[in-house]
Amino acid sequence: MTTKIIELGPHQLALEEPMYFRVQLEGDRVADLDVLPGQVHRGMEHLVMRRNLYQNITLLERLCSLCSNSHPSTFCAAVEDVAGIAIPERAEYLRAVADEIKRIASHLFCCAVQANAIGEVPLFRRIMEIREIMQRAKEAIYGNRMDLAANVIGGVRYDLTPEAASYLAQAMEQMKKPLDQLYLQFGNNPVLMARMAWVGVLPREAAVECAVVGPVARACGIDYDVRKKSPYGAYDRLDFKVALQTTGDVRARNLVRLAEARQSVSLIEQCLAQLPAGPLCADTLPEIPAGEAIAKSEAPRGELMYYLRTDGSDFPVRLKWRVPSYMNWDALKLMLKGEPVANIPLIVNSIDPCIACTDR
Amino acid sequence: MAIQEQETAAEPVRLFRINTGSCNGCDVELAVTSAVAEFDVEQLGCRYTESAREADVLLVTGPLTVKARDEVLRLYAETPRDRLTVAVGVCPVSGGVFRDSYAVDGPLDRHLPVDVNVTGCPPRPQALLEGIRTALEIRKARREGVEPIHEPGDRKPSHADNFPARGRLSFDAAACVDCRMCRHVCAAGAIRFEAGKQGVRLTLWHNSCVFCGLCSHYCPTGALSVTGDWRLDHRAADAFRQVDRGEVLYEPCAGCGEAIIPAAPQLLHAAFRRPNPEIEKLKNLCPACRQQMSIGVPRR
Repeated sequence: MTTKIIELGPHQLALEEPMYFRVQLEGDRVADLDVLPGQVHRGMEHLVMRRNLYQNITLLERLCSLCSNSHPSTFCAAVEDVAGIAIPERAEYLRAVADEIKRIASHLFCCAVQANAIGEVPLFRRIMEIREIMQRAKEAIYGNRMDLAANVIGGVRYDLTPEAASYLAQAMEQMKKPLDQLYLQFGNNPVLMARMAWVGVLPREAAVECAVVGPVARACGIDYDVRKKSPYGAYDRLDFKVALQTTGDVRARNLVRLAEARQSVSLIEQCLAQLPAGPLCADTLPEIPAGEAIAKSEAPRGELMYYLRTDGSDFPVRLKWRVPSYMNWDALKLMLKGEPVANIPLIVNSIDPCIACTDR
Repeated sequence: MAIQEQETAAEPVRLFRINTGSCNGCDVELAVTSAVAEFDVEQLGCRYTESAREADVLLVTGPLTVKARDEVLRLYAETPRDRLTVAVGVCPVSGGVFRDSYAVDGPLDRHLPVDVNVTGCPPRPQALLEGIRTALEIRKARREGVEPIHEPGDRKPSHADNFPARGRLSFDAAACVDCRMCRHVCAAGAIRFEAGKQGVRLTLWHNSCVFCGLCSHYCPTGALSVTGDWRLDHRAADAFRQVDRGEVLYEPCAGCGEAIIPAAPQLLHAAFRRPNPEIEKLKNLCPACRQQMSIGVPRR
């Protein structure tokens, strides 16, 4: 058997982001893998210390546009923890609405990209069309299709008027049937089964060892969702089950995502039904004392963790975050071992790698 | 994003995308222009290619990171000589929120010529299509051997539609009180204040602005507001004309005559629910004369 080393870039991998791999092949099978990161390194940890806490809300939203609401909302939660601010209840619900809207759009994008990676172009287009319902809703409510600008320190800076709420409820209604259909299709369609079932398997023990998070972990049967384990914001008042699968393959990851997207629809409906009246923000310009805090949230790709230290000035002394893709892409080595070269793009996309978050 | 489909009869214009370290917002929206019928680049006779050698139009996203630079220049060298380059989003033009980082080596036009800028963060698909359309106009004109006639600063109007996107920021100097909160919260450094002889001038550069609207959120008097004007694509040569400006004029203090920025009526209304004539008198006084009027003596 011949050993060969090849390098793959974004154009071979059908990735939106520049990620490079050095793959060692035994014959036509993957033997080992090196991730060559850094293309999207923008020096974020340096930049956040040169921006004040307000500027960081906008900067962190642009850490990554697919999980763009998770970053500022988790950052604001850390600042609020340092300052001892309790955000108004209405703001808690509105943050959950923004997070869940982003989750649906992000999960659908991931499933769409995988359909494209296996040459199922009509399916790719259909999922993107379904996702457009969410994109339109984001633009109608927040004014932008990617970066919502929903958060400020102490609460949110958007409101759902009765008209906007009924528009959103209508959009949610439109999502239900297509999401149910997609779930059945990814679960049972023979063509998709042939390409996705038992492909890129990550065994449960290996998943625990790699400390993978998010849909990648839940596809292996690991019952871990920050919204359930350590509820933040409004999540302790919302009813949902953690989406789980057991097989740990590409199919299972997508089923977790589609089940979660469907659940997000229900979460948004619950938020709309329970949405209490009241202010949107606790205090426009609060004093932020010296202190430190950790905040966690369930971003679309899994657990997102922020560490913040302040010194009483407007600028953070240290801001550090751990993003879900960091652990997940290390597990790629195990998922890809023994797989044919042709499966690499699909498996890489199946962990929904966020290079912008991880390279930062 | 590779989409394999049959060739159509007319030779399409090939679009080639390079991500130079973007937050992926622009890239995801570009994927929309290859997937969603309403925004499909095919309506402009375009198609995406995965080969730099075929690129008629090069779309560049991201602030150009140090690490990505060599790969970008290598790919650029492979593209045909008559290709056009479109800078997508504000990052390639100014660095956007990522400016001043050790890891960013932009702006893009320091390294290669850019023809069109599509302002936005990220630009909505409609804006991306307009930007590509502008590039196609330039391409056509160049092929015919002319540079298209074009007045600097003239802009196509945005279509009115049902969804007002967060677009261009607009500045109303009459409401500004020079508190500079907008500059304080602007992550992209898009707002500049300059004190002159006549007054204080505010300049807001749309190629740096990321349209987050935080300035308008924190502005106490509503001097800055978000408009729905999203159609901001322009020739790269006009990059620095994409500004909103306004001058807040000094006026003499009604007490001592010193040049001051008078308080705008919007500020008085924000501070006092119903300003009475006594309060109105405060607006044309310098701080020392205000204290004189309120407490009888100036306090240091």
